[in-house]
Amino acid sequence: MAAYIARRIGVSILILIAASFIMYVLAAGSGDPLRDLRGGNAANEAQLIAARVSALDLDVPAPLRWFLWLGGAAKCLVPFANSCDLGLTLDNAPVATILPTAMVSTLQLVTVATVVAIILGVVIGIVTALRQYSGFDIATTFLSFFLFSLPSFLIAVLLKEFIAIGFNDFLQDGAAIPAWLIVVIALVAGLIWMVLIGGSRRRRLIVFGVSAVATGAVLVYVSLTSWFLFPGLGPVGLLVVLAGVVFITTSLVSGLANRRALLASAITAAFVYIAFFVLQGLFTISSAFTLIFIAVAALVVGIVVGFLVGGSDRGQAVRAGAITGIVSMLLVFLDRFMQAWPSYVESGRINGRPIATVGSGTPGLTGDVWVTGIDSFTHLLLPTIALLLISFAQYTRYARAGLLEVLNQDYIRTARAKGLPERTVIMRHAFRNMLIPIATIVATDVGALLGGAVITEKVFAISGMGNLFATALGRTDLNPIMGYFIVIAIVAIAFNFLADLAYAALDPRVRVR
Amino acid sequence: MKIRRIGIGAIALAAASALMLSGCTTSAPDQSKGNKGTITVATTNEATSFNSSTPQGNLDTNGMIVYLTGTAGTSAGASLGGFFTLDDKFQVKHNDNIGTYEKVSDDPLTVKYTLKDDLKWSDGKPITADDLLVGWAIGSGYYNDSTIDEATGDVTGGTQYFSLAGSTDGLDKTAFPEVSDDNLSLTLTYSEPFVDWELANLLDKPAHVLADKAGVSEEDFIKTLKDTPKGDPANPVAPNATLKAAADFWNTGYDFTSFPDDKSLLVSSGPFIVSAYTPQQSITFSKNPEYKGSDEPAYDELVLRFIGDSNAQVTALQNGEVNAIYPQASADTLTALKNANLETFEGNQLSYDHLDLNFGSPVFQDPKVREAFLKTIPRQQILDSIVTPVNPDAKVLNSQIFVPANPEYSDAVAASGYDSFDKPDIEGAKALLAGATPTVRILYNTDNPNRVDSFQAIQASAAQAGFNIVDAGSPDWASLLPGGDYDASVFGWISPGAGNAALAQIFKTAGGGNYSKYSNASVDEMVNQAQTELDADALSKLKIDIDAQTAKDFYGLPLFQAPGLFASNGTVDGIKFFGNQTGIVWNAQDWTLKG
Repeated sequence: MAAYIARRIGVSILILIAASFIMYVLAAGSGDPLRDLRGGNAANEAQLIAARVSALDLDVPAPLRWFLWLGGAAKCLVPFANSCDLGLTLDNAPVATILPTAMVSTLQLVTVATVVAIILGVVIGIVTALRQYSGFDIATTFLSFFLFSLPSFLIAVLLKEFIAIGFNDFLQDGAAIPAWLIVVIALVAGLIWMVLIGGSRRRRLIVFGVSAVATGAVLVYVSLTSWFLFPGLGPVGLLVVLAGVVFITTSLVSGLANRRALLASAITAAFVYIAFFVLQGLFTISSAFTLIFIAVAALVVGIVVGFLVGGSDRGQAVRAGAITGIVSMLLVFLDRFMQAWPSYVESGRINGRPIATVGSGTPGLTGDVWVTGIDSFTHLLLPTIALLLISFAQYTRYARAGLLEVLNQDYIRTARAKGLPERTVIMRHAFRNMLIPIATIVATDVGALLGGAVITEKVFAISGMGNLFATALGRTDLNPIMGYFIVIAIVAIAFNFLADLAYAALDPRVRVR
Repeated sequence: MKIRRIGIGAIALAAASALMLSGCTTSAPDQSKGNKGTITVATTNEATSFNSSTPQGNLDTNGMIVYLTGTAGTSAGASLGGFFTLDDKFQVKHNDNIGTYEKVSDDPLTVKYTLKDDLKWSDGKPITADDLLVGWAIGSGYYNDSTIDEATGDVTGGTQYFSLAGSTDGLDKTAFPEVSDDNLSLTLTYSEPFVDWELANLLDKPAHVLADKAGVSEEDFIKTLKDTPKGDPANPVAPNATLKAAADFWNTGYDFTSFPDDKSLLVSSGPFIVSAYTPQQSITFSKNPEYKGSDEPAYDELVLRFIGDSNAQVTALQNGEVNAIYPQASADTLTALKNANLETFEGNQLSYDHLDLNFGSPVFQDPKVREAFLKTIPRQQILDSIVTPVNPDAKVLNSQIFVPANPEYSDAVAASGYDSFDKPDIEGAKALLAGATPTVRILYNTDNPNRVDSFQAIQASAAQAGFNIVDAGSPDWASLLPGGDYDASVFGWISPGAGNAALAQIFKTAGGGNYSKYSNASVDEMVNQAQTELDADALSKLKIDIDAQTAKDFYGLPLFQAPGLFASNGTVDGIKFFGNQTGIVWNAQDWTLKG
């Protein structure tokens, strides 16, 4: 194992060096870094060109200049020396200082989108596999492929027009939902629940009726109270939602028949509900770290409760308690964010139009963790949706195909024959094995993640890695290109390596040698 | 026993948690802090430096920073905290918020700069003639003893202290200035008359900051300036360490990639001061507390947001995230703005495209052929296809020297008669050619779609008159331009708007930008005169005559000015188009928020 890892790392470094050489020479040959000066009208053009040539060693042929660059880049390997030298851009800015900012904005942009895409993709994939060839399956397949094939700049423009400008107009007009829209949404929601839950015709009709009426009622309430201007769950709403969390968590983790797990989940939720009242004062003066600490505390409480009431099947109770604890606490945070919403919307820099179309934050906005959190949310909402719509399609496909394949395996039939409940068959026997190929895809996807999303970044004016690369390539600005390359290459190589290891860990048939 | 231990553990845990929690909290923020009175403007490019006078800092957004904060220097010129600004007709407007400057003698040309009493930099230090002396030292290159290789631009010997994006022309002819006893005025004496003396803004970066960066006191720094002799390229000496340290800082120290911890970089003399910067997102200006002039804005903060994509600028404007935008002008952007019912401000920028005939090529030795070729140029058609979609009011440019915003423009057109070439006169051209079919190779930039369009229009039209047009376009057009291996060229100049330095470069025999090898003794003489002409009316007359003479020689044709575009969503009053590089913020001091 150790020898394998050492060998892999050694090979990776060689690949990296060779690839950087090829990249350097190709990028250097792709254009003229002095073009903007040559085409300019400056009186002292020759002097400006000379200054740039000497700053960037452009008089050295590219293959030899690569050694200069490599010499500087090698200094990055010296730990804590802070002597990293990745060269200068055409504007004389050191690449080593602009690279981290670009990485941070890209991570900010793509992390949530990727995580949500994976979760949503896998969940929808599972549901479509379980309801294979149903109306829901076909509709989801159609929709995901439709979104997958839309160009991202078009999605971006549509989102800006309808979600940002449209929603902001809606807020400014008093946030009253028109009656016809309520009816349409209620009917659609009823249809979705109907196909999801399935069953006999009578049952389906009941599901349709109940969910349509419930959705409609909620929307009427939302419309009448201008909920979007003054959102909040409130004590009653939170109680209802927490009950739902307890119910869903337990049925997924252990099934409602496991009374101890249900009890653990319920007790945890009760603790969180109490915390909701107790902690409001603390929330007002919270920083991000406080929130992380509280969330971890909720998790720990869930685990402890599960451990104490778990009885014979502790594992399930602990899991149910932990998941309930963290999800419920996040809902409490959500409520607090909602409480801060009106003050955010009314703030002088927002002027009642909260959903933003460009950038990653409102310049000069000051406020507590809740207000700045909302600010990040309103700015990253659109780009995240744009990335999400495009990338989640492939996860649904992989998850659906994977689960269908696993469900046809002999051991699933055996498990069913043993008389195991369907929940156990799916969650424990099928779901786990389905995750093996997904894990590989996720690992390689994370590698691609830092590469940024060139078009999405451009359209939403977020200067991340993709933008850095595209701009630099356009100007034949070699050093940022190489800085980008080195980050992407290292992450890609590292995560491919991790994927191999993960594969070996998940699937006992695979051996690392 | 066990229970007790667990109990103690629990208490310890609870105590530790409480401690951690209290360590992680912040005080309740002050919600009352008003965020009123912010104007946000979208610009296309990011800011990279607080000094736009260096080669790498000479970018449009940096120029805006310097214009608003006033630390422009001689190279960047006009600024709100300097000695002059430009009005919308590109006339120099003396900025009496800072002080006065006037010509006290014509021969030798002597200019006296006088600062207002009790002026302060934004850090509270007084603005004195020391600062003017430093500005002069930077702009004049007085101490440089470098020899520069004309061909490559390399410094081959000696020391070049301050590296300027602009040139030291004019100020390099001044002797060491005289400073008054009250240290508020400074007098410059030019060894020969210099036409653009009014464009020399001597207020650059603060003397006390540069002195500090060079590691000496302000007095010592000024003393160094006084004691160091004028540089002589013929006898280069070892560089002065203090001066070199200050110059090195001025050259690169003002470049930034994050908001500087060192607040002395931000010191401003203008109505605005940089107060925040988020890398690649925005830069914020607030009011300079020490500014006492009349250009104090009526709002609290000005934010420039960097949005590269023009369509993203339009939706951001529509959504109210920005109050005004300064996008790259294109027909699509204009349509999007109109469709969204936003307020647009179209106009002409100072850069203009033109067709030049190569006087060194055998084809155009005969003036009749030159005239015939110019008669075939479909200027109105080129304008209609390139500029009109962006600026419906655009007109064909009819002067090599002036733009319509200049007051002299109409006189110049009347004198030169360039307006008679607006539509092609194929019959006239045929008559002049008398059956000849000359071959004309046209050089242009194939990477620029506008130039490609121009070329194709000229090709189609000239062919009708019998010209055989050869496509000599290339992406490397700029390096081919001086070579002269072509018969005509289509490219752009930036018209200076104010100032006359370009005349000698473009029209004088063997001038630096005279790629078409134009040579006319009377023009040479007028250009020489113009460089030293200090009387405004006589200068205008000379420039009009030069313009008319080029038309008589069939020098070439000006085509059109590049269109420019601002837009706002109606929340700000006072926005007005201006074609200068300063762009939309040129009158930011006059803006007011509505409502």
